[in-house]
Amino acid sequence: MSDAYEALQAMVGQESELRGCLDDVNKAMIRHWCEAMEDGNPLYTDEAYAKQSKYGGIVAPPQMVQAFSMPPLWPKREGKQDPFAKAVKLIGEAGYFGIVATMTSQEYFVPMQLGDQLSYKIKLANVSPEKGTRIGTGHFVTAEYTYVNQKDETVCIQSFTVLTFKPGTGG
Amino acid sequence: MGFSSVYWDEVQEGDELPGHAREITRTTIVATAIASRDFQSVHHDHEGAQREGAKDIFLNILSTGGLVGKYLTDWSGPEGELKKVTIKLGATVFPGDTLTAGGKVARKYEEGNQHLVDVEYHFSVAMGPHAWGTATMALPVK
Repeated sequence: MSDAYEALQAMVGQESELRGCLDDVNKAMIRHWCEAMEDGNPLYTDEAYAKQSKYGGIVAPPQMVQAFSMPPLWPKREGKQDPFAKAVKLIGEAGYFGIVATMTSQEYFVPMQLGDQLSYKIKLANVSPEKGTRIGTGHFVTAEYTYVNQKDETVCIQSFTVLTFKPGTGG
Repeated sequence: MGFSSVYWDEVQEGDELPGHAREITRTTIVATAIASRDFQSVHHDHEGAQREGAKDIFLNILSTGGLVGKYLTDWSGPEGELKKVTIKLGATVFPGDTLTAGGKVARKYEEGNQHLVDVEYHFSVAMGPHAWGTATMALPVK
């Protein structure tokens, strides 16, 4: 494993290119999200309320930011595999092909307003040494997502950690 | 319709958030996955989920995030502002599970001109903790 781990350590810090999100921040997607989540916060769906708020208009729920970045079902987007996906693939090929998400965190900086055009990039932030866990023996791999808007303001920084493990080594 | 706010002045460390429970149905899992634009089969395709080793379709992480954010701003009111949310992930949420939420104000402090609280929250299903962590929120002052 040490060869693969060395290779992965060398990749830490690599970041993808900036990718545009397919949909602007828009009322319909926000309402559909709130409908499914049963989120009645008037900032997200009540124009009159939102207009008199400090935001001056409807904003998206901050935790919705990643939804705007999700890849489409069709047509498939071309492009290089991001460093996090590449790391997960490499470590999988070294036998750690079990995968479970362990932690996600988001820090919010500026609100998402209707019409905002978001972009994001993905960095391979960390690869841990091999650890024994209840789920299995493996490595914690962490991605850092940075979301920006059309004014190049940082909207959100998200950290996402998965445990990639050798199936059958848990207990 | 009025929306009430929790004011920073009135909050105290140790205050408990009202509990909340939601019945998670098959429709909940599919609707939240699609609304979060997550088409991975494990969130809508029973056989697809089983091929990946899960017993049934299950709630996706973006939706856990959605429900956590909602729980926090339901408590604070629309003037409360999420600054940072950390989510540790545990048990999977399947159709038929009841997702129960609770929380408490762990810390109250000022930073610059912001009036902040750290809220420790937890979401559980019968199998155990589903999601837990700390959220930093800015609250309005009177």
